[in-house]
Amino acid sequence: MKKTSDFKNYKKEIMGAAHDDRLRLALSRAIKSFRSNVKDALEKFPHTVGMAEEVLKIKEAAIPRMEELARQAIAVIEENKGKGYIAKTANEALEIIADLTGTNKLVVKGKTMTGEEIGLREYLEEKGNEVYETDLGEFIIQKMGSRPMHILSPSIHVPREDVARLFSKVMGQEIAPDSKIADMVAAAREYLRDKFFRADIGISGANVVAAETGTLFIIENEGNIRLATSAPPVHIALVGMEKLVPTLSDAYKVSEVTWRYANYTIPSYVSLVSGPSKTGDIEKETTYGAHGPKEFHVIFLDGGRTRLARYPRLAQALYCLRCGGCLYECPVFAVTAGHFGDKYFAGIGAVWAAIVNEDMEKAASIAYTCLTCGRCRQRCPMKIDVPEMIIELRKLLAEGDPANARD
Amino acid sequence: MPPGLTYLADNIITSQNILGVTKEQSARWAQKLDIPRQAETIFFAGCGYQFSPQLERLMSLARGVDKSVIGAELPMRFARFQKKLGLNLPGIYSNVLSLNILPGREELKPLEAAIKVLRNLGIQPGYLAEEEPCCGAPLNHAGLQTKFAENARQAYRTLKSHGVKKIIGIVPYCTHAISKLFPLYVDGYDLEVRHFLEVVVEKIPSLKLKFPRKVKVTYHDPCQLVRYLSLVEEPRRILTSIENIELVEPDWTRGEWATCCGGGGGFETVFPELSQVLAVNRASELLETGAEIIVTHCPGCIMQLKDGLRELKVEGVEVLDLSQVVAMAMET
Repeated sequence: MKKTSDFKNYKKEIMGAAHDDRLRLALSRAIKSFRSNVKDALEKFPHTVGMAEEVLKIKEAAIPRMEELARQAIAVIEENKGKGYIAKTANEALEIIADLTGTNKLVVKGKTMTGEEIGLREYLEEKGNEVYETDLGEFIIQKMGSRPMHILSPSIHVPREDVARLFSKVMGQEIAPDSKIADMVAAAREYLRDKFFRADIGISGANVVAAETGTLFIIENEGNIRLATSAPPVHIALVGMEKLVPTLSDAYKVSEVTWRYANYTIPSYVSLVSGPSKTGDIEKETTYGAHGPKEFHVIFLDGGRTRLARYPRLAQALYCLRCGGCLYECPVFAVTAGHFGDKYFAGIGAVWAAIVNEDMEKAASIAYTCLTCGRCRQRCPMKIDVPEMIIELRKLLAEGDPANARD
Repeated sequence: MPPGLTYLADNIITSQNILGVTKEQSARWAQKLDIPRQAETIFFAGCGYQFSPQLERLMSLARGVDKSVIGAELPMRFARFQKKLGLNLPGIYSNVLSLNILPGREELKPLEAAIKVLRNLGIQPGYLAEEEPCCGAPLNHAGLQTKFAENARQAYRTLKSHGVKKIIGIVPYCTHAISKLFPLYVDGYDLEVRHFLEVVVEKIPSLKLKFPRKVKVTYHDPCQLVRYLSLVEEPRRILTSIENIELVEPDWTRGEWATCCGGGGGFETVFPELSQVLAVNRASELLETGAEIIVTHCPGCIMQLKDGLRELKVEGVEVLDLSQVVAMAMET
């Protein structure tokens, strides 16, 4: 049980953040460039707006069928000689992945918010594995011993001088605080290079999954996910069950809308992964484990998602594509970053905290911090009504939750 | 900055005393206006701009609710939970409510101005004065929907008993509550609710409006008006129809994209300090336009923006309610 001073600590934490001028500066720059990038991306590809409406319909239909879609995807993945799992809880997911990983292994990880949600890296480290975050932002966060402050840009709050200092320490080579950002990126590349090829396991998430083919769509720019999911002999993917949609064409639409609202006109890479690596080039005999992984495991995490889907006003939280746009429009986030949040941030984070993670105290803190100003809804491609959810959540907090009468 | 930099502090001090106000002092802002009590169309003044015995009633209602929350009526779970968090809901309410009670002399103006504007447009609304029910919006906002629903039904009965058919609202919170939320909780809700801006904008083409001096003004959209009631073009059409007014707006943060002033429904009492940071941020965005007057249309936003300007130590920039600006433009 947590201490009674939770709310006080939380308040202290966000006020500390609000008085941090460097944080504010980093955020105000990020917000400005995000807005102009999204504007640009939507102007170049104006069909995205209509496509977002289609995606909303796809999500509305898919969310109530999450489990069925997961079973469908697992069946196809296993036909293709991969392995699929449904984890009812975060702990189940951790155990499945820990069993697959074993101990004393070298693990390279792509960024996965679902991994953050269940504390995957920490768990694997506890089990005696060496785990490397390979997304640059996550890598910085990992080495700082900090936690992500934005779902897409985890190290949004760290200025370059701090990165230089950190890298100098971690890599044992001096990187001057006034170095070019390109030099810092190159240093990270060099440091991580051999990890990809020495790794026993590569771990990723997925932005969306097509149930009919079991295909994971993974959007990225850095190329670290390509390496992490193709160089090691084993690829393990952890996917929130809400990411499933029925068809490949649905999944494509979800992807395009996601990256565009995430301020990318065109991302450098979209990987489509449906099974382990294979070849039939010698006598047409299918053999697994060519240049890519020999093993492919997909864990679909429920972890409270099907519970959330049963709340009429709150289920819309599951439509979230994790484009991160709402965060850039939140006036509180603009001064506090991820301190206003839990596993997920800002207003919508309260819903995840309350129903998915069942941490009502954290949820209340976030719910009372939301202004209900509604600018996030204005930005959201899924038109998720955060103020409506927050008021509903406050109602559950104040008047009790009939759905949870069993408590 | 003109009338008093200690404005907000005074509000809070004064309002705490105001809670003991007598009924004779109620609705004083309207006394010299001689507004009829009985009419099919009434002006709904709300709590934000005025202080009146209704607030006393709201206070006791809110206190009653809080007692019941902490007491037996609601699950023990919540009471435990509240204690754990260190959230003091009764304290929050009384603060919210007292913050909303703006002292007479300063804040009578927007309401008087609004009545004057309506009359100049040939509209003679009634006003229920101390009989005006409270919309109870803070209850909804706090998640106390059951109490909000009870209050809504009571308020509806009161309005009907006075023969009210149409309402012209002005406070964003109240107007949203009586137009969008009441129908969710009151069976057969049949009151036609329009916001002051909608009424005024219709008459704009037939008016000749001139502000007493040449000024650059910017407009701050209250969240409830712009994103809950979709009143985006209305205030702009009104302002740009006034001679001598040049409307200058921030690049991005205008209309539906306007930044909240930081006064979101009680936020300022839970996080007073953070709320002020947000007020300063919003005031800064608006100041970048080079405007000499920040016009808005919400008692909460006015308070926050004035505070923001005060923190920024900005002089020579005023915050005015849109109703005041229109009334001034009718005088010349």
